[in-house]
Amino acid sequence: MGDIATHSQTLRQTFRQNSGRWSSHGRTWLSSGNVLSLIMSFTLFALSALFALSAISPQSAHAATGADSTPVFAHPALTIPRIDVQGYGSLNLSLVLESEASMTFRIASAAPAAAGLTPGATYNLQTQELTIPTLRVGSQFYSAQLRFISADRLQLVSTTAVVLPGQTSYQQLCANCHGTDGLGGSVGVSLKNCSNCSALDVLGTRINNTMPLGNPSACIGTCASDVASYILTAFNASASQQTGQALAAIEPLSLDATLRNAALHLVGRLPATAEVALVTQKGEAGLRQALDGMLEEDAFYARLAEIFNDVLHTNRYLSTNGAEAAIGLMRRFPTSRWFDPGVDLRGSDFTVNRTTTNNSVATEPLELIEYVVRNNKPMTEILTANYFMVNGYSAKSYGLTGINFTNEWDPNEFRPAVLPGTPHAGILSSLMFLNRYPTSATNRNRGRSRLVYDVFLDVDILALDGVRPDGSAVDISSDAPTMENPDCVKCHTLLDPVASSFQNWNLRGTFAPPRTWYTDMFQAGFAGVSAPPRSSGDSLQWLTKQIVADPRFDDAMVRIMYTGLTGHEPLDGPAAGAPQAQTDAYLAESTHLDYIKAKYVGANRNLKTMVKEIIVSPYWRADGLNNIAFSAVHEETGAARLLTPELLHRKIEALFGFQWRGPLDQYAANRNVFSSARLLDTRQYYHQIYGGIDSFTITDRLTDPNGLMVIVQERMANEMACYGVPNDLLSTRTARRLFPHVDTSTVLTSAQGQAAVRQNIQHLHRYLLGEELALTDAEIEHTYALFATVLQQGQSAMLGKTETSSLPTRCMRSNDMNTGASLNVAGGVDGRLRNDNNYVIRAWMAVVAYLLSDYRFIYG
Amino acid sequence: MNRRKFLQVLSAFGVAGTLPMTLGAPSWAAATATTQRLFITVNAAGGWDPTALIDPKGNASRADGLGPVNKYAASAIKSAGRLQYAGYPDGIEPPASTSAGHLETFFNKHYQRLRVVNGIDTQTNGHETGTRFVWSGRLETGYPSVAALAAAPYANQPMAFISNGGYDFTDELVAPVRTASAATFTSLAYPNSQYADNAALRSQSYFSDKTYANVKAARELRLARLRTGETLPQRAAQMAQLEKVRSGDMKLDGLLAYLPAQVSTGLKGQAELAVAAFASGLAVSANLNLGGFDTHGTHDEDQTAALTLLLEGIDHLWEQLVLRGLQDRVTVLIGSDFGRTPFYNTGDGKDHWNITSIMAMGAGITGNRVIGATDADFEALKLNPDTLEPHSSGIIVTPKHVHRALRDFLGVSSELDKLYPLNVERLALFA
Repeated sequence: MGDIATHSQTLRQTFRQNSGRWSSHGRTWLSSGNVLSLIMSFTLFALSALFALSAISPQSAHAATGADSTPVFAHPALTIPRIDVQGYGSLNLSLVLESEASMTFRIASAAPAAAGLTPGATYNLQTQELTIPTLRVGSQFYSAQLRFISADRLQLVSTTAVVLPGQTSYQQLCANCHGTDGLGGSVGVSLKNCSNCSALDVLGTRINNTMPLGNPSACIGTCASDVASYILTAFNASASQQTGQALAAIEPLSLDATLRNAALHLVGRLPATAEVALVTQKGEAGLRQALDGMLEEDAFYARLAEIFNDVLHTNRYLSTNGAEAAIGLMRRFPTSRWFDPGVDLRGSDFTVNRTTTNNSVATEPLELIEYVVRNNKPMTEILTANYFMVNGYSAKSYGLTGINFTNEWDPNEFRPAVLPGTPHAGILSSLMFLNRYPTSATNRNRGRSRLVYDVFLDVDILALDGVRPDGSAVDISSDAPTMENPDCVKCHTLLDPVASSFQNWNLRGTFAPPRTWYTDMFQAGFAGVSAPPRSSGDSLQWLTKQIVADPRFDDAMVRIMYTGLTGHEPLDGPAAGAPQAQTDAYLAESTHLDYIKAKYVGANRNLKTMVKEIIVSPYWRADGLNNIAFSAVHEETGAARLLTPELLHRKIEALFGFQWRGPLDQYAANRNVFSSARLLDTRQYYHQIYGGIDSFTITDRLTDPNGLMVIVQERMANEMACYGVPNDLLSTRTARRLFPHVDTSTVLTSAQGQAAVRQNIQHLHRYLLGEELALTDAEIEHTYALFATVLQQGQSAMLGKTETSSLPTRCMRSNDMNTGASLNVAGGVDGRLRNDNNYVIRAWMAVVAYLLSDYRFIYG
Repeated sequence: MNRRKFLQVLSAFGVAGTLPMTLGAPSWAAATATTQRLFITVNAAGGWDPTALIDPKGNASRADGLGPVNKYAASAIKSAGRLQYAGYPDGIEPPASTSAGHLETFFNKHYQRLRVVNGIDTQTNGHETGTRFVWSGRLETGYPSVAALAAAPYANQPMAFISNGGYDFTDELVAPVRTASAATFTSLAYPNSQYADNAALRSQSYFSDKTYANVKAARELRLARLRTGETLPQRAAQMAQLEKVRSGDMKLDGLLAYLPAQVSTGLKGQAELAVAAFASGLAVSANLNLGGFDTHGTHDEDQTAALTLLLEGIDHLWEQLVLRGLQDRVTVLIGSDFGRTPFYNTGDGKDHWNITSIMAMGAGITGNRVIGATDADFEALKLNPDTLEPHSSGIIVTPKHVHRALRDFLGVSSELDKLYPLNVERLALFA
């Protein structure tokens, strides 16, 4: 032990340095509600009392689940998960720094130590000294000794900086990728609750065999086990308590509301009665059961394709980007344009066959994902599948026969197939993928490699800190700078082995093994392991097996789905010096995502399991905070998002029973015309303006509204109110979606009419916005006031002849929405709705327009 | 991930109530300091070939046996003032000489307003990295495009930054706006009209003016109530942002007045919309985007076609600016991801090459000047940072230098400059 004064000063400085961080948002370890009210004297006799008290005191849930035994100082609390007292047993003890000047601590709480902990400190009854061999302060470690001074107080008398076994090796070999704090970086995953952090031997083996990437022999044997021990001690300690507190601060949506949001998001409809009953009867189990059903619906797979296309962008080859955008990539297939008998011989089906064929070829990678998920196969198969997907149309283009289609003209019937002589490697060997991410003789598949890392390994190579020379020319004077210049090697040692693994797939995406491969770049391999000789098979197939065995592949799948479902990417690891709230936020979220990942992996990597876990997670269900002290931690928490044009399109249809395409009198003619869909068509309407992507020149969605987008919302609200209100009032009350409590004659001149209007407003808030409001709620009154005002002003205007009783022309209903037939059948009842004699329809239109432009409608 | 930055920057500039404001102290024209300055970038997406445009080499065989850089004779290289430009490759049909996209026609018309910087080393041959570096000045992720920077002080204008794709990362300084057809704008200019596209029927609305005002007022009051009661920070921030955007005064009908009766397609259409948005005071910055330059196969044919469209688009942009009297307020910067190899591959294509050029024209730009150079093999030559003349002990110009100079030229404020520092030599590339 060194000089006491020096060490005390060291620790004091450390405390001060950390005090600003740990106290920045007013939380201490003592706020978890488990503080014993009675502070006891830390004497021999008091110890007896403490043990007696702790035996009957409620124990912190976090303490019960925390498996780490390392004492931690997080200003101002010093927590000792287990202290053994000679002759008495084990306590969980919390001290609070009372005086920085004298380094005096006060005992704040005591409880029985959780089972399974190892002693982190000892108390000597004779010397009255408390010894902590390893005390964690931030990312540093100390040994510390405290001495009982009086009553319930102890004083720090010495500290010594401790270098844990493996710490030095970690900083030298691992920190560059995983961060000095273990929270991960652009390449390395977070080591907090990492997939291999379940046990020392598991992690040690992993390090021994594969780490550091590209040079696993640098740390084997004792080095590997020491580094593993350090990682578990330094980065997996005491996170559970912080995480638990953070998650507990989230107020979740009710299960009913969760069901509604999930149904709208996943399958574009409202929950069925049976699904609501399931939730009512079985709670969360019922919700999961309802989700199980949704995940079998075609609509879910349409949403799934959107989510994956947002990262793959293979829909760049849909016919909306060129009539034969995909077919044009198939020049080597003689029958690629099987649908064209020649200009003079084209029949009426030419256009539909061409479009269907093109889009069938274009969506092949996304169809593979659907096939894997729909059939409960592990997601690893999206890369390892030794087949690709065709339907009757694309099979003809590829010249494939003998595929057992039930209906070869059903564009939705995709089946696995194999191109002769082609070693398929899932998405990576897809013609669409390989063309979407082309290469060249100089690029040598490095672009493809970068994308593989980004999408399938959750590693952004381009974000590597400090490794890419900037501002001055790179020294490329050697023959192979990517193998020799240290500035280049850092990236290329990762990039090039994967790039070389694509060597058998040429610039146009065809399997065409070259005679030789470049020797001035790193050869095919992955994570420090070389690919087998070419004679033993295609290196791309080999690569995909390596990728899916890497835990980062699971991280990547979680990232894609979490981002797709919540609209927000998982938080990045906090940068050095980041506020403590950011660290806490990251820890809480990443811990929960690890939990979701573990569930998914445990379910044989069935993506449906992951979707369900995300939906029921506090992050997707977040509806508020019950403790504003956590506002900074939860700044990014929640799944509220500006709905994408596709999601908004489907929500409108789910609630109104028709799409936003224009007046309903023309709906029968427009309903299947792509260019009439206001939120899907780009050129004439709003898909692009509203933040959609074409997967070609525009690949990033707009997630925040701009000036044009709010006008799109305004027009949508106006038009849909115009179309939807009269249409609903045409139906009988029991068949109505919007107005089950009122008619066109329901006005406010009677108490009965007023009550009916209020009741219907309550219904509209529930039906359109998902709000459960009491009839006395202020929001009901606000909406009522709008209705009443518009009604009164409108009736006055009609009396004053400044307005007529006619509905706006495009709001009139004269034809059947589905058939286009006139609603005024000769000899029958005139079923048209063209007038609004009481101004009631227009008053309700105003209310519906008000609600449709509401935050809770356009976000979800 | 940095939602707060948007509001912080707005706050730093004290945007509310002070618009319009300049980017800072313009370095180029004190006389125009009181008028709003406007900025356009034109991205030739995919990686253009400067040797087929403004850094011509000719068809002399390379010493290393890789063949010629170009497939036109050195004698086909022409000049317009101090600018040299390429000839058309052998066997390629040039556009009609009357076309604004014909090299000779274009450069003879515009050389006096064009400034060229050749020999810029992008240090990459990856599209994503290249476009990011060329348009943000930073090789790594994280910096907004210069067009977004230019729009940042005007972020509460509803269409401050028009983006047609390409690199339009804004770091949430300003919301990018995407565009569509004139008909779409018309429908949005009159959101309460049943027949927005028919001037005679336009007054037929869904709601009476009085009712519409009631709906709008109720909507904004409701949003304020929701925000006040919201405890989830993310949703509260979304509501605040929605309130802010809705409070903007769009006045799209003003934009429509400046649009041609029939808006063009492609780059020309993008130019027409950007200029109309500038003229109507809605936008201050725009990025235009044209693809077709990634010519790994049949380079001469495809690159020529793409360059023709590019030059036609730039010419059209200029004519639109002149038509609206904006040529002295708008600075135009034209660039691409990187360049193309100074030799052909086996498919008569050219692959990616890290050397590129930029062109600038418009407000504050003195034309008829070429800065920087490349050698016969299209490798960048070092420049004396003071004289900007080639010098063996000078520096290689990178997009970082370009953006350092560009920010100084545009008068990007010190606040924004500190947010996204570019610590590199200051070259007077645009002065």
